[in-house]
Amino acid sequence: MSAVPLTGGCQCGAVRYSIADAGEEAFLCHCRMCQKAMGNLFSAMIMVPTDSITWTRGQPATFRSSGSGQRGFCAACGTPLCYIGDYGHRVITIGSLDHPERHKPKTQDGLQGRMPWFVELTSIPEEGETGGGPDAEWVVAIRRSNRQHPDHDTEIWPPEEKS
Amino acid sequence: MSTGAITGGCQCGAIRYRVEGGLTNAHICHCRMCQKAAGNYFMPLAKAPNGRLQVTRGEIAYFHSSDLVRRGFCRDCGTPLIFETLGGTGPNVTLGSLDDPLAVKPGFQGDPDAKIGWLDDLLGLPADENSTAWFEKVALSNHQHPDHDTETWPQEQRS
Repeated sequence: MSAVPLTGGCQCGAVRYSIADAGEEAFLCHCRMCQKAMGNLFSAMIMVPTDSITWTRGQPATFRSSGSGQRGFCAACGTPLCYIGDYGHRVITIGSLDHPERHKPKTQDGLQGRMPWFVELTSIPEEGETGGGPDAEWVVAIRRSNRQHPDHDTEIWPPEEKS
Repeated sequence: MSTGAITGGCQCGAIRYRVEGGLTNAHICHCRMCQKAAGNYFMPLAKAPNGRLQVTRGEIAYFHSSDLVRRGFCRDCGTPLIFETLGGTGPNVTLGSLDDPLAVKPGFQGDPDAKIGWLDDLLGLPADENSTAWFEKVALSNHQHPDHDTETWPQEQRS
């Protein structure tokens, strides 16, 4: 990767971070702890150097999920953000990066928890937006009142009270 | 699971829920809002039609990600739990928060236009053979709520 810092944060924008010196060690973890912590089928993470994370807005709340480390999240919207290991390792959730598409995982672990139909997931039928009602109207209405922080840093957030 | 009810909750166990009568509409959603809320590539969801979801422990916190939708999570550990269209036909629960996520296989993909371009490539990634020792170490001090309901939780004071 280039020397350009990686940026990211939670959905609501209360917590934002910058990573000065990310490596390229991106991976998936299928373990049951990652699944339940994320409410997901696996976690997608990128390892970063111990002192490379700067919290540029707010701070993550933490839950000590085991005696080995803590999981960081946004207390205002719940977005899973990081794993802070007691032995120095730091891991960021790839989906919270402003550009997750730039960090393709190279390995997967926690295979004891992997869904047996994991390999089928991207071949199931493709349909429209999550939710209900006519898709076009739905998409427009969501966009009009979207409170998700944009995928870049902002001077002030939220910009104004939204109705 | 003896009653046929589906149970689940957050990682720390402060929130527990039960769904009677089954889930519908199991899918994964690739939209950027689900990605960022999940900190992942997609959000796996299934709907509990109105009246079927009962929160059996704690109180779910919500973020209104737009005027149309609220997303529920545990304020103590952050686990994303709910995607709900306001005034809709029922909340969706996150499939990873189910006690038995194997039991509900997603049947379709929402917002495929937002899918990460190389997602298909991930399915064949090599396994990390060096991680076994780490998982064994974590298991010795696991603070995650077990994948079933408990009478009291937490059971002891954690260090």
